[in-house]
Amino acid sequence: MKKKWDKRKPGHHAEKSKMEPYFYILPVVLLLILTFGYPLLKSIIMAFQNYKLSNINDVYFNNFANFKKMFGDSDFLLLLKNSLIYVVISVTGQFVLGLILALTLKQKFRGRGLYQAIVFLPWAFSTFVVGLLFRWSFNGEYGVVNDLLIRAGIVDKGIAWLGTPGLSLVIIILAMIWLGIPFFGIMILAALQSIPEEVYEAADMDGCGLINKFFNITLPFIKPTVIITILLRTIWIFNSFDLVVIVTGGGPANYSQTLPSFMYTKAFSGYDFGLAGALGLMLMVILSIYAMVFLKISNYDKAGDF
Amino acid sequence: MKRKLIITLLTMALVAMAVTGCGKKGASSDNSSNESSDTSGKEEVKSLRFLDVVPSETRQTYYEGIFEKFQEETGIEVTYESVPWDDAANKITVLGSSGQLPDVMTTWSGWLGQYTVAGWVVPLDEYVTDIRGEYTDAVNNLLWKSEEERYGHVYTIPDGLMVKGVFVRKDWCEEAGIKLDPTQDWTYDDYFDLVAKLTDVSEKHYGTSYRGARGALDPLLVYMQGYTGGNTYDQQGKILINSEDCLNAFIKWTDVYKNGYAPEDSINWGFTEMVDNFTGGLTGTLINDSEVAATCQKNMSDDQWMVMPMPKSTVDGKIYNTINAPYSYSISGDSKSPDVAWKLVEFLSRSENSIEYCKLTGEIPIKKDVENDETYGLNGPYATFVQQLNDPDLAVPTTYGPFDYTDLHQGMFHEEIQKYLLGKEEAGTALTNITDELQSRMNDYMTKNPDATIETALKLQ
Amino acid sequence: MKRSTKRKILNTVRILVLTFFFLLVVLPIYWMVITSFKTNPEIINAQKITYFPETFTLENYRSLFNMLDYGIFLKNSVTITFSTSVCIVLLSILSGYGLARFKFKGKSAVLLFFLITQMIPGILVIIPLYVVFSKAGLINTHFTLFLYYLITNLPFCAITMRSFFERIPYVLEEAAYMDGCSRFKSLRKVILPVMFPGIVAVFVFAFIGAWNELIAGTIFINTPDMWTIPVGLKSLIGKYSVQWGALMAGGVLTLLPTAVMFIFVQKYVVEGLTSGAVKG
Repeated sequence: MKKKWDKRKPGHHAEKSKMEPYFYILPVVLLLILTFGYPLLKSIIMAFQNYKLSNINDVYFNNFANFKKMFGDSDFLLLLKNSLIYVVISVTGQFVLGLILALTLKQKFRGRGLYQAIVFLPWAFSTFVVGLLFRWSFNGEYGVVNDLLIRAGIVDKGIAWLGTPGLSLVIIILAMIWLGIPFFGIMILAALQSIPEEVYEAADMDGCGLINKFFNITLPFIKPTVIITILLRTIWIFNSFDLVVIVTGGGPANYSQTLPSFMYTKAFSGYDFGLAGALGLMLMVILSIYAMVFLKISNYDKAGDF
Repeated sequence: MKRKLIITLLTMALVAMAVTGCGKKGASSDNSSNESSDTSGKEEVKSLRFLDVVPSETRQTYYEGIFEKFQEETGIEVTYESVPWDDAANKITVLGSSGQLPDVMTTWSGWLGQYTVAGWVVPLDEYVTDIRGEYTDAVNNLLWKSEEERYGHVYTIPDGLMVKGVFVRKDWCEEAGIKLDPTQDWTYDDYFDLVAKLTDVSEKHYGTSYRGARGALDPLLVYMQGYTGGNTYDQQGKILINSEDCLNAFIKWTDVYKNGYAPEDSINWGFTEMVDNFTGGLTGTLINDSEVAATCQKNMSDDQWMVMPMPKSTVDGKIYNTINAPYSYSISGDSKSPDVAWKLVEFLSRSENSIEYCKLTGEIPIKKDVENDETYGLNGPYATFVQQLNDPDLAVPTTYGPFDYTDLHQGMFHEEIQKYLLGKEEAGTALTNITDELQSRMNDYMTKNPDATIETALKLQ
Repeated sequence: MKRSTKRKILNTVRILVLTFFFLLVVLPIYWMVITSFKTNPEIINAQKITYFPETFTLENYRSLFNMLDYGIFLKNSVTITFSTSVCIVLLSILSGYGLARFKFKGKSAVLLFFLITQMIPGILVIIPLYVVFSKAGLINTHFTLFLYYLITNLPFCAITMRSFFERIPYVLEEAAYMDGCSRFKSLRKVILPVMFPGIVAVFVFAFIGAWNELIAGTIFINTPDMWTIPVGLKSLIGKYSVQWGALMAGGVLTLLPTAVMFIFVQKYVVEGLTSGAVKG
């Protein structure tokens, strides 16, 4: 009646007041609104202003000038393309490899604990260190990768990984995948382990094959985890710019620049916060559309309430 | 067991937060800002904040030592703040836009266009008037003169002077049978010739540390200015570096990369990589500041390197060389008490302190009475740099313009060149894109400042 | 034959896959570690790349401690990260519980809001916060980083915590009420112990997020004595030279505390994320 328990949880505790849930939620929500609300509003407003940090006394509304500047940049399409390639390949790579890793880890074997601890280690790495490590390893002259390739006779002259359009973005993606496999691995492994054994046993009795079992039992069971992990990772990766800045700085000639790293290096270093705000707003719009479409297509509402 | 763990964890957290974590203030920096606002800038100011933009072990030790002496003498405490060079410009912008700049900060000359407009640095003319005579001609006739021409006032006190030169692998030259004499003039054509001769890709020897990323246009601008008398604009504010000659210079300069005289990777190189790869033995020449001599001394043996003066222009025989104080001292607009801040700047610039600093950082002295210190004599590592300062043909070319060009320096300048290097764009298009943008900014500036005089290349003698 | 061949193939594939992932992770780490033990001339030598240090040196580690107050950075990082993570755990237990156990007006709005906070580019949060912090005189205090790491990691942790609560059958809690426990007591005595691995998981999420953060660290902190490890490491990229050896040594030392912690707790993390109901 007045008390509304989550329907999935049976049982009532009638005498509790209606206000109770807010007691748990409010501190966090208030904290987040206070800390995120102002920046959010501020950046939306800035997006429509001439707001240059270098000339803070000369702030005024300039309608859509920032957006015109953003879309008018001759490299805008390149940046958008790079961002999409970066996020799609990184997330797909992490997901596929994370899934394979989780599937192999599901079965017990000797030394699994230690093995698991080692292969999940990249998660504990800082992006900064990984960025440097990749930049160093793929260095055209001193890099160990070129040296190995030459020794193996695959190439006879070192490749300028970070100096070649196309390739430089690939290195950033590789670093990102390397960093992100454990996160997917852990999440999926946990989901896999919560599948009751009986379900598989029943399937065995029905004579289901391995592939059949995977698509009809495993996948549906881990779907909610996979969906939410992919959603979050996509948002995080799409917005992340540190790897780009550390590994290539967006070079050469913007060929590995993404929209957020562009926002950081250009708008921030150029002190043009109006432009940064416009870029930020666009990123948020893109991500919101993505989140809505993704949740819709994946039918996530049915799996849980988001 | 687990419950116990949770409880322990919670207790530990609370203790940690209460004792150390939250709310603890850093050093005395906060006291200083609070204090100075409390006393609203009267003589009682007892502490100052100092920001260093190129922190290193050496510099921090030097400054902390000198601040101690300063405190002994004046009773004023100075906090040493620093930010890694890569983030320095960003950090100062954040500080400046929120009114949190430290009292004294080290400033790179390229930032002044932005800072003077924003009021982040204050004019120092009245402090400087009486002491001009103590400073060398280079400071008076080049640094301060150009600041006055560009911004109308003197805004900085130099920490030392930096002059560019060409660092060369002495041993490679000997192997290749090339004789170089630093006291003899040479031209850019000689330089390009040397770069080609030193290249031996099978040995992993490249002719030069080509600068492809941020700052790529800087040395190229100086080379192109060899064809325009050292100027970027003419007296009507029309851009000069888009001429046919300059385009050819642009092509000739970038050919160094296109012909493979520099590693392919170098398209992404900034300052750091250029120096690293020279001292590391990958490249044979390096155009850079005297400051690098200290790095070379540290990482290479004496028979491995030497310094040549900057090549002379093939057109007018002048040595065009940028001369600046790399991290000069400025007093910020947020300082509650510029007079007290000045005391610190003055202390730092005292002859005995400034010469100690210059030797430490590889800069050229700025005070007349210590100009002839033996470190800077004919046999010292800085001979070539000092010799250029005394060369009657030396001229200091102009910059990109009197307006804020930081964003172009962070992006467009090198990106256009990179597009040409990658074959995605014609040389002419790349140069025109750059010069068109500069021209439009110059036009804007001229409209806003109709009375401004347009700076021209400066000569020492 | 069918079964055993199949199993054999499956096993070989498994071993290959396991080896692949092992090498994928270990080789870069190996490279980092041995680079940190090489001398600088050996590191920057384009003519010859060595796969094991020719001259084994501890110089990079020594210089790390000499050049930088690595000990102080470590202390700073530990205090900030630890207090942040603990607060995140507490707050996400609170909100996770509320979100999992109740239906109330505005619940989906709250969840949506959590999701939106993840979409705001970090740099757009940092700048306005900086202005607020500076007006409050908080710049160059660890509190700024504490708060920033708290709010950036909290939404994800709260949602994760919520899903742990959802997996715990309500019956368990109900039984406690029957015994006359108050809600808090039942939460403390019954639910939390079951959720221990989940709590560890959230702690680790928060810890790693805060431990490795760099950008806010450079912006909010002014003096070297207040730097965190990543900011200190970044300062090794000088204007004129990248000190690869020291950087790699720094990388090793940054990784070490988290790696050790991780090795001990990763089993709880997986266990925690796995349904708590299995044991309940």
